Amino acid sequence: MSFEDDLTRSRWKRWLVNRFVVVPGSLVILALVWNAWIFTHNHGVIASRVIDASGAPVEGAEVKLWVFNFTTFAEQASTQTKADGTFEFTKNPSHNIQLSAKKAGVGRSPRIAVRLYFQSEDIVLKRPLQLSGAASD
Amino acid sequence: MVKCRRRWPIHLALLAVCFVMLVPFYWVLKTSISGENIFSYPPNIIPRDPHPFYYVDVWYAIPFARFFLNSVVVSALTIVANVVLNAMAGYSLTQTFPGKQIVLMLFLSCMMIPFQATIIPAYLITGKLGLLDSYLGLALPMFSTIICIFVFKASFDAVPRSLIDAARVDGLSEWRIIWKVMMPLAKSAVATNVILSFIWSWNNFMWPLIATRSQDMQTLPLGLARFISYQEDTTGALYAFCIMVLAPGILLFLLAQREFVQGLTTGATKG
Repeated sequence: MSFEDDLTRSRWKRWLVNRFVVVPGSLVILALVWNAWIFTHNHGVIASRVIDASGAPVEGAEVKLWVFNFTTFAEQASTQTKADGTFEFTKNPSHNIQLSAKKAGVGRSPRIAVRLYFQSEDIVLKRPLQLSGAASD
Repeated sequence: MVKCRRRWPIHLALLAVCFVMLVPFYWVLKTSISGENIFSYPPNIIPRDPHPFYYVDVWYAIPFARFFLNSVVVSALTIVANVVLNAMAGYSLTQTFPGKQIVLMLFLSCMMIPFQATIIPAYLITGKLGLLDSYLGLALPMFSTIICIFVFKASFDAVPRSLIDAARVDGLSEWRIIWKVMMPLAKSAVATNVILSFIWSWNNFMWPLIATRSQDMQTLPLGLARFISYQEDTTGALYAFCIMVLAPGILLFLLAQREFVQGLTTGATKG
């Protein structure tokens, strides 16, 4: 835009429509939208399901939630799966967690790491926890 | 067309220099999203399994938002003070007054003294003013820089003397001449002042380390040092932190680079 074109614009347009306002303004709007998203999706809900080696849902499996605690993962909570193999944790406080499941006579799953975009993010895991090998306890 | 063809070796050389200068930035960015060990051989040019979670780790490992806010407030204070005080000092140096040469010599000689040499008096003065552990105290030693005064002086020197005389004849005070006549003509000098004072304030480590006492007043460079001392296995997160600290400075420079370059070269060809 030439200097003459710039002068023909109204005063408020010259103040508002320039890169020094548009770029920081866009970033502020982006931050506000992101914070609004966080505010409406931070109930700490983690949901998924547990299946056995054949892919069938496992009822009554014990699922543990591990939360990163400065240097190591510490057990935060545990729950049991329902008849359809689903489970749900509420009030997860962290953004860096692990999940594991086991059931006597069916097997145990390896701990899977789950990284979240913010603390207490609500998430439904697409990949279920799969039990394999018999767990004695 | 012939000119363009003759210039290709220059462009090739410039591209090579750009590549050499940008590789470290690319490496930091790549490591921040991949967490790859910097000593791995052969190194991967393209990041493997990139993800943004190291940035999330940094955000929650330390009170990043608080440190960021502190850095923003201190930098904003520094920028405002630099533009106002340096413009006034620069304007005064364009005027004729007894002892001007001595003042110029003093300014030039003071540029040789490193900040570390004056840090004890600066601390004592800030302490006597009761400004330790405050935003104003953190910004105070950076309120005016001699280089930026000379940037304003060079820019004001380029303004025709007749314009200032005309403003005086119209009844403008010296104060209004600076803000109504000189400053609109010295936008590049303002941009240079803003960028330089922002970068110096944003990256300042030594003074905030000495002047802050509570964690709530620490700035981002102190946060970075604290972050390194917190955790050992932080390759990805450490580089993510570096990117988060660098990003505002790079953004500001990209926004105002045209004015910045103009500001630095104003008066360069003056005899």
